[in-house]
Amino acid sequence: MTEHFDPSIIVARDVDKIYPNGCHALKRVSLEINRGEVVVIIGPSGSGKSTFLRTLNQLETISDGDIRIDGISLTDKRTDINKVREEVGMVFQSFNLFPHKTALQNVMLAPMKVLKKSREQAEKKGRELLYKVGLSERMHSYPSQLSGGQQQRVAIARALAMMPKIMLFDEPTSALDPEMVGEVLDVMKSLASDGMTMVVVTHEMGFAREVADRVVFMEEGELVFEERPERFFESTSNERLQRFLGQVL
Amino acid sequence: MQKQYNPLLWNAIFAVILLGLGYGIYAASKSIDYTWRWERIPQYLISTDPTEIRSPFDGTVVVEQGGKRVLVDPDSGDEPFVVEKFDLLLADDGDIVFEGDAVAGIEEWRLGPIGWGLLTTLKLSVVSLVFAMVIGLFTGLARISDNPALRNLAITYIELIRGTPLLVQIFIFYFFIGTVLDLDRFTAGVAALAVFTGAYIAEIVRSGIQSIPPGQMEAARSLGMNYVQAMTNVILPQAFKRTLPPMAGQFINLIKDSSLVSVIAITDLTKAGREVVSSTFAPFEVWFTVALLYLVLTGALSWAVQRLEKRLAASD
Repeated sequence: MTEHFDPSIIVARDVDKIYPNGCHALKRVSLEINRGEVVVIIGPSGSGKSTFLRTLNQLETISDGDIRIDGISLTDKRTDINKVREEVGMVFQSFNLFPHKTALQNVMLAPMKVLKKSREQAEKKGRELLYKVGLSERMHSYPSQLSGGQQQRVAIARALAMMPKIMLFDEPTSALDPEMVGEVLDVMKSLASDGMTMVVVTHEMGFAREVADRVVFMEEGELVFEERPERFFESTSNERLQRFLGQVL
Repeated sequence: MQKQYNPLLWNAIFAVILLGLGYGIYAASKSIDYTWRWERIPQYLISTDPTEIRSPFDGTVVVEQGGKRVLVDPDSGDEPFVVEKFDLLLADDGDIVFEGDAVAGIEEWRLGPIGWGLLTTLKLSVVSLVFAMVIGLFTGLARISDNPALRNLAITYIELIRGTPLLVQIFIFYFFIGTVLDLDRFTAGVAALAVFTGAYIAEIVRSGIQSIPPGQMEAARSLGMNYVQAMTNVILPQAFKRTLPPMAGQFINLIKDSSLVSVIAITDLTKAGREVVSSTFAPFEVWFTVALLYLVLTGALSWAVQRLEKRLAASD
């Protein structure tokens, strides 16, 4: 059981992704992420950053290379991908809450069905998590009755209910009205300070600067540049990064 | 600007048109000298004729206890035939009766032929519906499966069924499959209706599932649910809600299509109607009655589905 002493929890090596239509979405992307680390991936749209994030829980399969999550290879045919996904929570740009269930039911569903927890246990945990994201008042509301920011916070609570070791965030604030971005980022910040391993695809440069341990820049399917945030934004060595930062900042 | 209609005026016009149509039908029947005999119809729905108790042999009737007990003494000298529970006395003391003659009657309400037909149609529809939903659900899932064998099987089945008339399918089920597998006519009828409706339900299920955003499946799978758990807990409940209106239409079609099984001599509502017409010579009344009864069945169904839709709308 040496893997518990391995500091890296995500190891992606030479990940290639070619879609059936020939689009080369990821080109030999390699990235190692340590336990408790917060990694922010930025890049222009179509750069493959979301695709890369989605390969980490096999929502996208990869064409070549290997990904290891906590020592388990995702390309190994004997790997039960559902077991891996229990450990890897994901938050989507469009929330993807289950519209036919209340906030609390959304949070309770997976623990009950996947972890076979009792209704009481799942509900206790669900109430706890909704309290943590500041939505105790709204737990019996349906997603359609919640604002975008509230929905995204429920989605974070839903992912946390599975007690994941890793949380993936796929542009969690891009579909939100500006005034709601803050409340979601606050939840993510507190999660980071609790020591959660997080991989975040975002356009929020402020969040990257403040919370990230490392910032990764991707363009045209390639991992171009990675650096600690305090140096990342001041770096002048990389021309492609300079061009991108010039556009967004 | 939306045009404002005077509701009172236009509802009155609607009522006048309906009355006009009703009068038209009445006038048309007058013009062909049709005599309406509505009074003949109720007895074919529910029969109030007393059930007759018949003598099993030739003999002499003896009425005892002031008419509370009747017995028939057989000519052969065997044990007498005793009747104690009856409402009507149909023979007098000392009458000579032959085998099969009525001696007493019990007054009770029974279903008439049309009533039985209605019951048969109901049974036929409900049983076929249950099987059609199971067939439709699994075919719909197979239709969108990544497995080419499953997908092609589903497509072949759906195209075969949708491309041939139901009447022909019923004949094939009864004369070919029914003979090979030794099915009785009711089973053959149910099988034909279920297989026919299943193909249409499969397409409704498919379109319902495909109308759910792919993000729902991704969210469910990202939480560690397997395909079956994601389908049953996340996708199908949402798809069910969306497909209720077309599903209701299909169920109503099933009830109406069930009239076609009368061609393989299942006495459903339609066949009962035909039989009653031949004994009453009142075709207009009988067919209007039959139509009304179908309308009651389909109306009750669409009312029930509408209530279900309202209840499921809570999360909208």
